[in-house]
Amino acid sequence: MDRLKPRDMSRPSTEQLINLGQLMPLPAPYDKPGMEPELKPAKDSWRETYCTSLDGIIGNDRLKRPRSKAEEEEFIKNFLNGLDKLFSRETNGGFLTPFSLAFEYCASCGVCSDSCHIFKASGEKEVYRPLFRSDTLRKLYYSYKRRGNLLARFTGGNMDINVEAIMRLGELAYRCNLCRRCAQSCPLGLDNSVIAREIRALFSMEMGMAPSMLHERGTVLQLSTGSSTGMNKDAFLDNIEFIEEDIYERLGKKYKFPIDKKGADILLIHNAGEFLSWPDNPTAFAILFAEEGLDWTMSSELAGYDGVNYGIWYDDVQGEKIALAQRRAARELGVRRIVIGECGHAHRAAVVTSDRLAVGADNIPRESSFPILRDIVRGGRIRFDPLRNNFPVTLHDPCNIVRSMGVVMPQRQVLRELCPQFREMTPHGVENYCCGGGGGFAVMRSMNFPDWEMKVAVRMKFKQVLEAFQDTIEDPTMPKYICAPCSNCKGAFRDMLNYYQATARYNVRYGGIAELMVNAMTMFDQPYFEWLPG
Amino acid sequence: MFLTVYMYITIMAFVVFSLRKARQYARNPLAGRWELYPVPGESGPRRRYGGSYYEDAGWWTKPRQVSRVGQYSEMLKEMLFMKNLFLNRGKFWLLSYAMHLGIYLLGLFTLFLIAGAATEMLGFQLDTGSHFWAAFVYFTTAVTGFTGALLTALGGALLLAYRATDRVLRKYTTSGEYFNLTFILAVAASGLAVWGTDLGFNHIRQAVKAMLSLAPIQADGILMVHLLLFGALLMYIPWTKMSHYIGKYFAYHRVLWDNEPNLRGSALERIVEKNLADRSSAGWSSPHTKTNKD
Repeated sequence: MDRLKPRDMSRPSTEQLINLGQLMPLPAPYDKPGMEPELKPAKDSWRETYCTSLDGIIGNDRLKRPRSKAEEEEFIKNFLNGLDKLFSRETNGGFLTPFSLAFEYCASCGVCSDSCHIFKASGEKEVYRPLFRSDTLRKLYYSYKRRGNLLARFTGGNMDINVEAIMRLGELAYRCNLCRRCAQSCPLGLDNSVIAREIRALFSMEMGMAPSMLHERGTVLQLSTGSSTGMNKDAFLDNIEFIEEDIYERLGKKYKFPIDKKGADILLIHNAGEFLSWPDNPTAFAILFAEEGLDWTMSSELAGYDGVNYGIWYDDVQGEKIALAQRRAARELGVRRIVIGECGHAHRAAVVTSDRLAVGADNIPRESSFPILRDIVRGGRIRFDPLRNNFPVTLHDPCNIVRSMGVVMPQRQVLRELCPQFREMTPHGVENYCCGGGGGFAVMRSMNFPDWEMKVAVRMKFKQVLEAFQDTIEDPTMPKYICAPCSNCKGAFRDMLNYYQATARYNVRYGGIAELMVNAMTMFDQPYFEWLPG
Repeated sequence: MFLTVYMYITIMAFVVFSLRKARQYARNPLAGRWELYPVPGESGPRRRYGGSYYEDAGWWTKPRQVSRVGQYSEMLKEMLFMKNLFLNRGKFWLLSYAMHLGIYLLGLFTLFLIAGAATEMLGFQLDTGSHFWAAFVYFTTAVTGFTGALLTALGGALLLAYRATDRVLRKYTTSGEYFNLTFILAVAASGLAVWGTDLGFNHIRQAVKAMLSLAPIQADGILMVHLLLFGALLMYIPWTKMSHYIGKYFAYHRVLWDNEPNLRGSALERIVEKNLADRSSAGWSSPHTKTNKD
């Protein structure tokens, strides 16, 4: 147990508050030495520019040190202005209730810590305790509002407000996946993740300091080109054409992606990263929807072909702009409903988070693709042979779809019908652990942050995967499939399996639900998965 | 007469400041959706495994079913048994539940005190050998008062000790939180001291009778101390996180369990429309928040 306290966040020294050291042990075969790479320490050159004084990791590459006394004063002033705005109904109406409840009523009982996979995986480093973050914010706020008086000390507000404390807090907001598992265990129904999220919002919306992969190369890029991948309309259409040709070559049947079809029943929106990194997934959707005879289309308009909305993790303004752009694309096509492909945060952003941001013609029903996929399996129009998926399969529950949206069973019903060796992780469903890529981590790529993500954030999930496949893990001839119906989760699994060399060593694979469905379709002679023998 | 007026003022302060706090949360702008599953308003097995209406394709074409039974039963489990704490931290639950159960019993004790005072005002004598009602009220007052004060004191003292000695909790417990627990402990302990001199709580009942008839409360020594402390605690609670009876309601009903969809043409859509129209132009400072494009 380390002795670190929230007050230590304002230590003026730029030395790291913690070193990672001993982490949670992994099960076999990763319980032997040398099975995982070592963490790269922060370079000295980074220390002058970024905040390495928390844990030596740089998640927010736009959080830069002030270079003069005047800049320091400005930095602190901006932070305090932002703090005021978090508590204002004028500037933070949508989050005021959950945020102020979590801020005001936390009983500091620490129950949330045991639910946090980052805290547990880190070997219980104090700085990653959910309460540590929220208590730091509380201390800073009370120190600011009560300016060192007796009441400030009475409420814990006895902390120096300095650049180091603010920078460390800004970094610490990016040591939480926003998975909300801690909120499930809170005896008062409070959500510590909303505190982390609001700190991120303050840094972005008031101080202009959000990780570049989320902001400049995320939401800003999406609003200017149409996709956070930078794929504009022409590139999107080229990609679709290429995928259509590829399907024909692989399966010997022509499938067409209906683009910008006015008056269609369904507007299907994928995470555009799928087209570039996992084209098998949108391809599988196209095959399934065509064979089922659904009336569907895809949009080529701005944000209409990319369900990504990084705004929900760090910036309300960006989140709203993207959500409304997607609604506009649907309205212009005159579709009856928007269906979200296999992307967790896109599900939540489009269906839940933006639900109270649009009315009238923009208030178009949105739904998950999972119940539709389940109904396709059960409908009988397409014939499936489960034995084609006769290898161990486990299911990862994307937090945004399960815990924050309540879509739990449809994906299981598909796997139970089509995968004879399906097994659950422990725990699963609404009690699942995050993949470790949530809250933007899967796309944040600054300095040594990806290493930290792999060592700490994904560690609990990797442990779960190993445990789910314990019976066959050391048999490399047996493919083992992690069904991860979410693009960001897939990104985390891709990086996890590479980092721990689990595909190369033990033949652990990953992918979505739709691919498993197409792999089981009897109408194709060849397996859909190229890693299966033909 | 000072004590009578004091007690009325403290009760009124508790009610008024609690309502003010609740009003402050109730008047917040409509929150964006931030529900967390399981949501007990979901019907049937979904409530158990944490599913929602989003598990049906075309969910908006189906009648919306909200299980009030599910909501109320979950609320009761949480209020009466502190279910979440029990499931997640049994040891802490034991201490916290002892204190909270004690407070609930003291709530019952207050009701029995009022019933006893009213019974006496109607001319019936409360004692063990008289009418059933009088005997029932007498005994239940004594039992709830004693066990309530004992559990509250015991729970408060143990929580205080736990917070002061646990290596994690000690870091996060503020002076204010120690003070709050000490304050509760002092009120409960002074109540026990009152019981020690008056096993049937007859003097407190006389004080309640005096309050009901707007007469001066006759209290001295330990009873006076107890009433002064209790009144001060009543006034103090709404200003602190001890008012979580308010926060918890909003946390569940306005945040975690609020999954009401904004359907086109619905009453909620009209509220959303007004909420969007009423949004202030006051904003954040980063340049990107000022433009519509990026």
